[in-house]
Amino acid sequence: MSTDQPQSSTGSRREFLWQSGAGFTGLALASLLSQEGFFNRVTLASEQLNQGVSIPPKKARACIFLFMFGGPSQVDLFDYKPELQKRDGQTIDNEFRRNTKTKAILQASRRTFARHGQSGQWCSDAFPNIARHVDKMAFVKSLYSDSFAHGSAVLQMNTGRILQGHPSLGAWLSHGMGTMNNNLPTHVVMLDPRGGPTTGPPNWSSGYMPASHAGTVLRTSGPPILNLQPPEGITREIQSDQLHFINRLNAEHLKSRPEFNDLQARIASYELAFALQSSAPEALDLSGEDKKTIEMYGINETKAVHPISVGSAPFGRQCLIARRLVERGVRFIQIYSGGGGAGGQNTWDGHHGIEENLAIHAPEVDRPIAALLTDLDQRGLLDETLVVWGGEFGRMPVSETFNTGGKPGGRDHNPKGFTYWLAGGGVKGGTSYGETDELGQEAVVNRHHLRDLHATILHLMGLDHRTLTYFYGGLDNKLTGVQEAEVIHGILA
Amino acid sequence: MQPCYTFLLYLTKRLKWKQNIIACLILLKLCVPLVVKSDESSHFSKVVQPILQRYCISCHNPSKARGGLDLTSQATAMAGGESGHVILPGKPEQSLIMEVLGYEGDIQMPPGSRLPVDTINAIGQWIKNGASWPEGLILKSNTMASHADKSENTGPKLRSQPFQLSDEDRGWWSFQANKSPEIPAIPDHSIKNPIDRFLIHKLNALKLQQNGPALRRELIRRAYYDLLGLPPSPEAVNRFENDSSPDAWEKVIDELLASPHYGERWGRHWLDLVRFAETNGYERDGTKPFAWRYRDYIINSFNSDKPYDRFITEQLAGDEMPGGFDADRMIATGYYRLHVWDDEPDNTLTAEFDDLDDIMVTTGATYLGLTIGCARCHDHKFDPISQSDYYSLLAYFRSINPYGQHKTGGGGRGTGKITRILAPEDQIQSWQMQKLRKVDEIKNLIKTTTDQQKLKELDNTIKKLEIEIPFEQALAINEDPVKPTFIFRRGDAHAPTVEVSPAFPGIMQFSSAEIKPVNGSSGRRLAMAEWIASPKNPLTARVFVNRLWQHHFGRGIVPTVNDFGRTGESPTHPELLDWLAARFISSGMKIKAMHRLMMTSRAYQMSSRADNAEARTADQANNLFWRQNPRRLEAEALRDSLLVFSGNLNRRRGGPGFFPALPEEIHRTQDSARKGWLESSPEEQNRRSIYIFAKRALVPPILETFDCPSSTVPAGNRSVTTVAPQALLLLNDAFVRKQAEDLASIIFHMTDKTMPVRIEKAFSIIIQRKPTQTEMESSVEFLENMRERNLTEDQALSQFCLALLNLNEVIYVD
Repeated sequence: MSTDQPQSSTGSRREFLWQSGAGFTGLALASLLSQEGFFNRVTLASEQLNQGVSIPPKKARACIFLFMFGGPSQVDLFDYKPELQKRDGQTIDNEFRRNTKTKAILQASRRTFARHGQSGQWCSDAFPNIARHVDKMAFVKSLYSDSFAHGSAVLQMNTGRILQGHPSLGAWLSHGMGTMNNNLPTHVVMLDPRGGPTTGPPNWSSGYMPASHAGTVLRTSGPPILNLQPPEGITREIQSDQLHFINRLNAEHLKSRPEFNDLQARIASYELAFALQSSAPEALDLSGEDKKTIEMYGINETKAVHPISVGSAPFGRQCLIARRLVERGVRFIQIYSGGGGAGGQNTWDGHHGIEENLAIHAPEVDRPIAALLTDLDQRGLLDETLVVWGGEFGRMPVSETFNTGGKPGGRDHNPKGFTYWLAGGGVKGGTSYGETDELGQEAVVNRHHLRDLHATILHLMGLDHRTLTYFYGGLDNKLTGVQEAEVIHGILA
Repeated sequence: MQPCYTFLLYLTKRLKWKQNIIACLILLKLCVPLVVKSDESSHFSKVVQPILQRYCISCHNPSKARGGLDLTSQATAMAGGESGHVILPGKPEQSLIMEVLGYEGDIQMPPGSRLPVDTINAIGQWIKNGASWPEGLILKSNTMASHADKSENTGPKLRSQPFQLSDEDRGWWSFQANKSPEIPAIPDHSIKNPIDRFLIHKLNALKLQQNGPALRRELIRRAYYDLLGLPPSPEAVNRFENDSSPDAWEKVIDELLASPHYGERWGRHWLDLVRFAETNGYERDGTKPFAWRYRDYIINSFNSDKPYDRFITEQLAGDEMPGGFDADRMIATGYYRLHVWDDEPDNTLTAEFDDLDDIMVTTGATYLGLTIGCARCHDHKFDPISQSDYYSLLAYFRSINPYGQHKTGGGGRGTGKITRILAPEDQIQSWQMQKLRKVDEIKNLIKTTTDQQKLKELDNTIKKLEIEIPFEQALAINEDPVKPTFIFRRGDAHAPTVEVSPAFPGIMQFSSAEIKPVNGSSGRRLAMAEWIASPKNPLTARVFVNRLWQHHFGRGIVPTVNDFGRTGESPTHPELLDWLAARFISSGMKIKAMHRLMMTSRAYQMSSRADNAEARTADQANNLFWRQNPRRLEAEALRDSLLVFSGNLNRRRGGPGFFPALPEEIHRTQDSARKGWLESSPEEQNRRSIYIFAKRALVPPILETFDCPSSTVPAGNRSVTTVAPQALLLLNDAFVRKQAEDLASIIFHMTDKTMPVRIEKAFSIIIQRKPTQTEMESSVEFLENMRERNLTEDQALSQFCLALLNLNEVIYVD
């Protein structure tokens, strides 16, 4: 059973089918719909949710995860460290990745930090627009995770494990909460125009859960979903005729097999596919948005400040689409900033110069994210939408020379201390929680493993990480794994 | 499970260089509350209690008070242990516990690695604030408590601690020795197949009947898909429908079992279990060299009806088997190299044991139906497998040369010795000697040559000699000299405790397989293989015949095919399962005979219709197998069928995999579009799906959308989901449309161009029957509609064929 009773009751599904089914005259859908268990397969979404799980009062119904792939630098964005600024250029004993001791040179942020909002949260001038929203945001500045390498770190941020093969956060939400809109996927992923993240699709996989929980990659130009539209020359009328014909034959076939829900579900899936052909483009069609909104998201901003930069238009479009998807009941939307192989400036992986990296990526997301928060807020959606921002790890306070052939100015990976912020449903805005050490390198105060972040996201979505389980391989698996995780209460409203 | 400890280890190491700073922080933090809290008792329950429960009380409890210390109650905790008081309320700096946790003196707790600083500080803070303890509170191990709560309501019974084999364990059904139960007598003596007698015996008890036989057309379709994963030709259906000889059915079965496509079908089931893929996954998703040879080995093994015990032994210990060099046996050991592999793990030692665990989990699930992996960090919570059993089993695999080499940071570490040359040892040696000689000769030549051009050539010759291997190679096992195996505390590879020797789990001590070093190898894996393949192993045969049953009847007699333990489901027909297992063993573990036995039962041949109202009411779920279960085609069978319909199927077998053309947007989901994806000729692309290059980061949409498993964990049961993207794919995907067009083209060019004949032809190829009158009318109407929508005749036919490919009757086999 779905936990989201009002939206996913069979009642509303039937209603939908009645509407779109009206297009297929001659098919005795009515008789199909009166069958019990008609939607058994389609509602598979949450059938494995354990009995007896009590769901705490729900706060957010949708989540937008803004994934800064490559690992954004906390000490240049939100985690202001006066001591680091003071000690710029000093040589310290440092540990490179795991267990490799080196001398390294402290590298102060070249950014100017200021306190913003009523709450006086620190934010650097890399994000002048986001800075105006700090009162909506709760910063967790003391996260740590388990891997220095992109591959396993991105997987861990998405699936809770450094090992490939586990269900992603979106799959868990789909599994735990079901769907609110049958005409759109529950779990959506939008990629950077420069490419996917390291390891690719396993990051939005359903792992050992059914494939229906896997993320659907949504493209913002061209056909949004793979195979959504027939090829040129095949009109919607032709396809409609075709569906009509298929349905007639399937209905005939079903007559002597009335007991098999799977057959009925499959008939329904064609109705859904047909609906999706209009609902998906509609969700992505920005022509109905007013000029001011388009402007606000930076979608008209074509001026790129750097050759590698794609400007704010792609991420802006994706953020605006995310809002539209939230309005239409999509549960989990993940947007990647940065793409293509890690290691270059095409992602937030600023080995080769943190200033150049910020110059490329910060303006690409600054206006879009600020606009998203404004827009959600103005429409009254922010209370029921959780916005999460962060990457697979943070960066080091020392200058990196390992990957750059000795050229200073870059920063290496740092899973020992990094920042995430959350905003919206159930989040205590204007909060800064946890601290890294005086140099911004390692979480020391109110340290939280990233599994605690996952537990907190689930909590804010009304789920309990201890009871949201999926039985596989002899074990009730959890997103947070076998280690105990705790909700980060310090950022809850 | 690993990550946390990796981090702790890292932290302890890190602390040493930064001790001063950390020390300052500790002092500083002792004065600052770590957790905003309102009262002390809540601080205790939220912060202190979990720490004590997680790290301390497994050794410091009333029954096992290490060092005389019991930390489960206030009185005992404050009383201290052999070293005196450990907690002095209000005085953390004088409390022994702080020194112990801080790893400052001789006693360092918890053993293995120091706790995170804030955890230690939380204890310090609690002591400073008076070390209050809620009145009467007795601590219990927290993991146990949460599991126990659950098992009171549902699920299997939690084992008691400490680990001990009980009569209940020994009595568990799947650990019972194989013996053949008596075949029940049933009133109808004409029924000879023991399978039917077992099933009917149960049905009779409920006064229920088996369904009547399926139509011959349905039956032959079922047989083709079950055994080959391909549709029958219209002619084959026709022949069978008109064959009145008494052995018509047996002839079909024998013909199909003799087809080389049989191995391609059943090999795929096996590849699901061993989570076969040809790349490593993760960031680089590098290619596993020659992985396709393992795939072909599996296919050929099924085709040659290799006895299952040999099949097991070859995969687990082909290199250690007696009888001299055998290329197939070497290829079979590619089994050990199929797992995902991170070339840039955070910690290479942990990663090495993650890989070994992957092999343990897969071996347990695939051959034994056991969730062995549950005992990596602790004794199995439900099944009689202790943590010591886990590591004793691991000892058989411990000396495998690791897939990856040890290296820190930077990424792209090299692989270990993951391939083997497919030649006898003496041939390899003589080639190597020859190579050395040649190299020496050329080096001598170089000394005397002055011509630059000539020198370059000679250099290149040396390089070539050093790289080129004049033999075939395979992805395979290599063993290192025997390495010791330790039990790891909480599964942490950095916390070895007791050393263990190879041994089989206490619950399965039915034979003592002797370890004899062979072929320069430890012989350990051969001993394990013999233990698994032994007819005395109670699980092996049961698990395998259950898989055969599953694919013939739509679900296993034990529905949880990879779990025969307490967290699995019980068999619906335990006697039948035992009888099948015994029969399998007594007939030399030959697989084809078991197919024949199952398929010649009346049960297999039953109709799948649910129109028997009585049975439907009594057993809607068909737990008693009163009817056959209709099944949806797997992704591969679906794709292969489309190729058969279009006449495009390229039946070439074996060899390296091919790369189907994919839409650009699929390529772009990788971090680098087209990474590791080559181009294959159109003919190659028309081969069966089992030959698609199995790349972990890029699964073709037609496979992924139709529930092809993820190839990271052993998949016994594929899920069957029905979602809209499947419909979109079958309507709009370029590959599917191409097959429809090509089929339409065949029909278009037939000499008889009348519409009904064309319609009949399409029906005949796709679903091997004539259309009913209504279907004919609908088809005519559809084709006319298409013409009205300005499609040409062949375009209209193509849309028609496409529509037929989408029918439920195509995707679901009765």
